[in-house]
Amino acid sequence: MKIINIALYSLLLLVVLFSSMSSATSSATSSATSSATSSATSSATTAAKIKVDLVLAKQSGEYHSPYVAAWLENDKNQAVRTFLLWRTKAKWLKDIRRWWRKIGRKDQQLVDGITSATRGVGSYPLTFKAKNDEGQPLSQGNYTLFIEVVREKGGRAIVKQPIVLSDISASYVIKATPETGEIHITVTP
Amino acid sequence: MKKIIALFITTLFSIGLISQVQAHSRWLLPSHYNMSSEKGLWLMADATASNEVFNVDKALSIDVLRILTPKGKLEKPSSVYKGHRKSVLDYFVADSGTYKLTNNYPASYRTRYKLNGENKRLLASKAELSGKLPKGATDVSTTLSYARIESYVTMNKPSDNFGQEGTMLELLPITHPSDIVEGEQAKFQFVFNGEAIAGVQVEITLEGVRYRNDPQVLSLVSNNKGEVSFTPKSAGRYLLIAEFERKAENQQLADFESGAVFLSFEAQLN
Repeated sequence: MKIINIALYSLLLLVVLFSSMSSATSSATSSATSSATSSATSSATTAAKIKVDLVLAKQSGEYHSPYVAAWLENDKNQAVRTFLLWRTKAKWLKDIRRWWRKIGRKDQQLVDGITSATRGVGSYPLTFKAKNDEGQPLSQGNYTLFIEVVREKGGRAIVKQPIVLSDISASYVIKATPETGEIHITVTP
Repeated sequence: MKKIIALFITTLFSIGLISQVQAHSRWLLPSHYNMSSEKGLWLMADATASNEVFNVDKALSIDVLRILTPKGKLEKPSSVYKGHRKSVLDYFVADSGTYKLTNNYPASYRTRYKLNGENKRLLASKAELSGKLPKGATDVSTTLSYARIESYVTMNKPSDNFGQEGTMLELLPITHPSDIVEGEQAKFQFVFNGEAIAGVQVEITLEGVRYRNDPQVLSLVSNNKGEVSFTPKSAGRYLLIAEFERKAENQQLADFESGAVFLSFEAQLN
């Protein structure tokens, strides 16, 4: 069994190396190999790593630290994992509009479990495992990462980035908004 | 041929089988349609009759206002105030779930007739006409009318608390009112005496009519399943007015029966 695992991992490593050498062929390679190894990967209960460098943009005037939620939706627009929730009063949770409507209002326990304090302007390197809310590794495929940032008496931004969970590392950049700086995302299998 | 069709349509209009939305706009406008809290929060709502969505005009009496709670109880507001332009209510939303606010006065019978060429009205059913209807009255017809003025407010997790009564015209949300979102299709169903009904005239208007030249009213007609669908272009508060009138069925007291629904709702940011 161990031997099979080692063999799979070395195959994975080869694929990663190959794809980083030749970006032109990477998409074709990835689709071919992911179908070959996806079942092995998901049954091996390893979850990909998602690194998000979140930047809360500087504002002028009265400033209240934003409420922030970050989550993943699958290719059917179903929310599968909330990574973070920065907030204070429950009264304003509804203002994280999409996250509240799709996730927060339906699951008090989840809200309590992931809540942490709000943060001010700055850069926040964050790393998450690609698991669902129940702690199971997410299967390979297409997802969308959402980040919603809402300030009391201030603006709101919702940014999203389609990401692929596969055997290949990938990097993405979300353009700056009035509420967020440039956000860099790296997905590592 | 065109003339015949036009004449036919005019006839339908005049006998009330097809009608444009005509009722005076009325609405309940809650301070919040969606709330989040662990301990409950106060809700306020305005009640007014006005043709300018959502600027108030004439206070609507809210003596009959009731709140259907997620537990199925009918409650009254904790306090009300009636001003000249609007009535206001206070209500503490304690539990998670969807609350239905209604301000429905009892059904009424109205009789129209002509006397010496003039249009006249009486608040009377067919049974009450004798003695009230003057001699020489012509074109007598009686309509049973019922209007529902309603809105939904959701605290935390929504519930399907639509309080269907099975009488006259009713709006049943297919898309939950707290799931209406800009750019996504929303769907409602209309029933009359509990049965899906085609041909309901529906108008949907985004707030802020005072500040645009074109009121941008969306007109819809319910299909064979009683359904209407629409996609709100922008987030905001909307007023839906629905009307339906038909020849009275199983009614000795009226010739026509007519129902209206006034629903205010919000389309959320996506």
